[in-house]
Amino acid sequence: MASQIIREWLGINSFAPATQTKLLELLGKLNQENVNSLTILVMGKGGVGKSSTVNSLIGERAVSISPFQSEGTRAVMVSRSRAGFTLNIIDTPGLIEGGYVNDMALNNIKSFLLNKTIDVLLYVDRLDAYRVDNLDREVVKAITDTFGKGIWNRALVVLTHAQLSPPDGLPYDEFVSKRSEALLKAVRLGAGLRRQEAQGSAIPVVLVENSGRCNKNEKDEKVLPNGTAWIPHVVQTITEVILGGSKSIFVDQKLIEGPNPNARRKFLIPIILVLQYFFVVKPIERQIKSDIARESRPSWEMRDTGSRKY
Amino acid sequence: MFGAAAPTTCHSPITAFCSPITTLPSFSSRKLASPVAAVGVTNNPRRLTLKCCRVSSSTLSQNPKPPSNLLKNLAKTIAGATTVTLILNLSNFPAFIGGGGSSGGAGGFGGGGGSNGGGDGGFWRRLFRPKVANADEPQSQQEWDSHGLPANIVVQLNKLSGFKKYKVSEIWFFDRRRRCTVGTDDSFFEMVSLRAGSVYTKAQLQKELEALANCGMFEKVDLEGKTNPDGTLGVTISFTESTWQSADKFRCINVGLMGQSKPIEMDWDMTDKEKLEYFRNQEKDYKRRMERARPCLLPAPVQREVLLMLREQGKVSARLLQRIRDRVQKWYQDEGYACAQVVNFGNLNTKEVVCEVVEGDITQLLILFQDKLGNFVQGNTQIRVVQRELPKQLRPGYVFNIEAGKQALRNINSLGLFSNIEVNPRPDEKNEGGIIVEIKLKELEQKTAEVSTQWSIVPGHGGYPTLASLQPGGTVTFEHRNLNGLNRSILGSVTTSNFYNPHDDLAFKLEYVHPYLDGVYNPRDRTLRVSCFNSRKLSPVFTGGPGDDEVPPIWVDRAGMKANITENFNRQNKFTYGLVMEEITTRDERNHICSNGQRVLPIGGVSDDGPPTTLSGTGIDRMVFLQSNITRDNTKFVNGTIVGERNMFQVDQGLGVGSKFPFFNRHQLTLTRFLQLKEVEEGAGKPPPPVLVLHGHYGGCVGDLPIYDAFTLGGPYSVRGYNMGEIGAARHILELAAELRIPVKGTHVYAFAEHGNDLGTSKDVKGNPTEVYRRVGHGSSYGVGVKLGLVRAEYVVDHNSGSGSVFFRFGERF
Repeated sequence: MASQIIREWLGINSFAPATQTKLLELLGKLNQENVNSLTILVMGKGGVGKSSTVNSLIGERAVSISPFQSEGTRAVMVSRSRAGFTLNIIDTPGLIEGGYVNDMALNNIKSFLLNKTIDVLLYVDRLDAYRVDNLDREVVKAITDTFGKGIWNRALVVLTHAQLSPPDGLPYDEFVSKRSEALLKAVRLGAGLRRQEAQGSAIPVVLVENSGRCNKNEKDEKVLPNGTAWIPHVVQTITEVILGGSKSIFVDQKLIEGPNPNARRKFLIPIILVLQYFFVVKPIERQIKSDIARESRPSWEMRDTGSRKY
Repeated sequence: MFGAAAPTTCHSPITAFCSPITTLPSFSSRKLASPVAAVGVTNNPRRLTLKCCRVSSSTLSQNPKPPSNLLKNLAKTIAGATTVTLILNLSNFPAFIGGGGSSGGAGGFGGGGGSNGGGDGGFWRRLFRPKVANADEPQSQQEWDSHGLPANIVVQLNKLSGFKKYKVSEIWFFDRRRRCTVGTDDSFFEMVSLRAGSVYTKAQLQKELEALANCGMFEKVDLEGKTNPDGTLGVTISFTESTWQSADKFRCINVGLMGQSKPIEMDWDMTDKEKLEYFRNQEKDYKRRMERARPCLLPAPVQREVLLMLREQGKVSARLLQRIRDRVQKWYQDEGYACAQVVNFGNLNTKEVVCEVVEGDITQLLILFQDKLGNFVQGNTQIRVVQRELPKQLRPGYVFNIEAGKQALRNINSLGLFSNIEVNPRPDEKNEGGIIVEIKLKELEQKTAEVSTQWSIVPGHGGYPTLASLQPGGTVTFEHRNLNGLNRSILGSVTTSNFYNPHDDLAFKLEYVHPYLDGVYNPRDRTLRVSCFNSRKLSPVFTGGPGDDEVPPIWVDRAGMKANITENFNRQNKFTYGLVMEEITTRDERNHICSNGQRVLPIGGVSDDGPPTTLSGTGIDRMVFLQSNITRDNTKFVNGTIVGERNMFQVDQGLGVGSKFPFFNRHQLTLTRFLQLKEVEEGAGKPPPPVLVLHGHYGGCVGDLPIYDAFTLGGPYSVRGYNMGEIGAARHILELAAELRIPVKGTHVYAFAEHGNDLGTSKDVKGNPTEVYRRVGHGSSYGVGVKLGLVRAEYVVDHNSGSGSVFFRFGERF
């Protein structure tokens, strides 16, 4: 996987000219900042449209998508380069299996990511799901446990299936904000971020519509019901996050395995041993001695002093 | 005699079986219970010699069975392969009293005494009377002759025919001073050997009368018969009790080993002056004797009690002396001084009554070895090994006490070297009044080998036993004990529960035990143990939480060597420290070595990427560590219920030697308190007190913690109501428990609450098995139970799931 051939980014040509211009402009901006490669990690529950989003962003059918099946348990990296700039997108399998976080999938992702740098995390969920439950929190927790809290400074929440008509005649923008608010709350809780932390660097929410029936504007760009062209918007948000000043996450062995509890406070062992000897063993020994001294002896043992001599 | 038997293997308290050693079975128990007192001539106004002849000192027992029978019975009831017989012999003490005539010499002096002369003879006759009585006994079966006289007339003793055998149907005692008939419960009654319903000749009756007259209790005594219509004779013994001046002081001295004062022949033709001189000399002698005598063990309260008796009474009477004698002897008997006897009352007719006691001073301690046939042999065991087990109260210079004897029995038995142990006090012939304590030991075979086999039914598929799951198993053991006579031993055993597949669960153990590490003469008791061992256990770490019971099990096999030194402070408190080298192998269900635990995936598959089972990650760990354990236990039994404190601290200190250089400090502290909630009277058959048990257990580890050494929560010895490890496995744990025990009808009921907590350290175990197997990490339970013999039946509510269940368990939780 690591030695994957980096192909020329041809898919960009399939975008509308306006989108292409915008994207190249953004990439140029990144180039100016001496960023010439970008690794995007896409994670989320199963069946929310992670692979489709990857395909939409690349502009070609880079990863296979299957509407009714889980995608298997392997992560896939798609790398494209254009004008000296390399874009890597890592598509991952769904993290939820049978109502639990799929630890095996997570482990596979971890080992896949070994020695890679993650610049941006796309946390993908659906816009048209109405409820946020424990499971979302579990997924967020699993991600946090793996990469640390810092990953959320480099994260975007991506809501797919954005082209919808909200129920009960709710205005679209209001529905979107409500939904993203609920999801962000779950992320905050799951990641264990404190309110201030979360406030300081609010996780941006972007909307995505991967369907081929996506509405287009006059410039042939894919647009959302609120009129935004979403591909440039996503890329722009990503750029903003990257340039936001936070560090990207380098995945090394230590990060995958977590802190080694066996190594913690190991240096204290000699001190602990000494303390145990003087403050536990010795006092118990003293107690034993005093017990023996205080032991009630039968009267016959006490009475006869045996002072007689023959 | 006192005998006890206990199987070698268990440390059950020694049960006592009592049997008198007396060879005179015809004695009534009443006679046995109160020693026959014989009194020499009482003419001496100053002094009454009360000769106590204890027919058998086994007042401990009333069991008439001869000892041989008893042992036979014991052997039958025990019917085991190995038994130890413990015997504490209290054989006959047919009076240490030699110089019976000491005061006899004073006969003829008119004083308080009534009867004259012949004191010596009287005494000796009295002494031997038990045998006479014994000889009489068969006669009761014989024919008897009618008195041949008219009914209801009083006949003097000398009017009776010397050729007839009279049947005595009734006996009355008539106290002339009180002018009334005394009942059989009177203390004087025991002086008389005549029994209603027996047959006596005139000579025997005369002898009896003579004996009574000479015993010193009576100033005057007569015997007369009353004829009955059926040809039998009613006997009336009328007497006048001896009395002396009142006294207001009491003194008790130990005259054992002093020898009796020598009788000085008195010339009957002495002048008054000479008599006076003689008299003075005697008085002086007695004073000197009193000074030389050692103080006795009789404590002040009893002495005061006796003094009170003296003061209440006013005049010192024979009856009073008898009562004092009984009181003093009772104290000695109650306190276990089985050889102690009151032999004399001196200084009568002065203000002070002197009670002379032979307490039973030990003059010699003999340790003897016997072979199987009872011949004395040279033992293999070094004498010093036995000696250090003996309480010092059995050494020469102390007074023999039966409790010390029992203690010696228990201590020697706990050595586990002897099949038969006897502690046997016997009178010292060379040293009058002294006791030789003999300890007779029969040694066990030094080398033993044993093979035992067994069939077991193991749970088959689905946990149900099937015919095919019947397995032959067995144990081969050999032991070579008491090497060098210093109780060193080598023990080896191999056990398998399945001879078809012995490699499955072959357990072996080879152990060398070296006691008296500091030398057998050093009171410090340290024992060195070196052993090779293996063990196989199901790891409780790999256990599912509630509702997730399909966790594939992991077996943890340990094999290695251990060398440790145990210092015994006393029987319950010890400090152990040593080195352990072991290899730990983790295996899965199919007995393959595995490096990670398995887990069941939500989709149903099984994956092998569970928590790592070993530190090395290969499934095999090798490590060397120091292990130390100190136990403080001052618990004792109050009417069968345990009360006291028990603390235990254990440290395993890794040395960085082994796979992945394990360096760790794994420690646990256990504190248990058994609080007695009510003061109760102690004694056999008394109800035990209610007890509150508080228990805390902390376990923790700093450094490398392989998963098989993680502390688990849940289980019958952790938090009841859960399976082993059902609550979690963590780096640091805390368990708390409280149990209230209320005694009910010879057993007890109890209520308890327990809690176990991982202190949030489950995640600090590599692989977090608590979370992987979906366990909570903390849990409480509460319940009630009843103790039925060895079994505890309890109903426990598991607080995590809120469901209750009933458990039956063996043994104690704490």
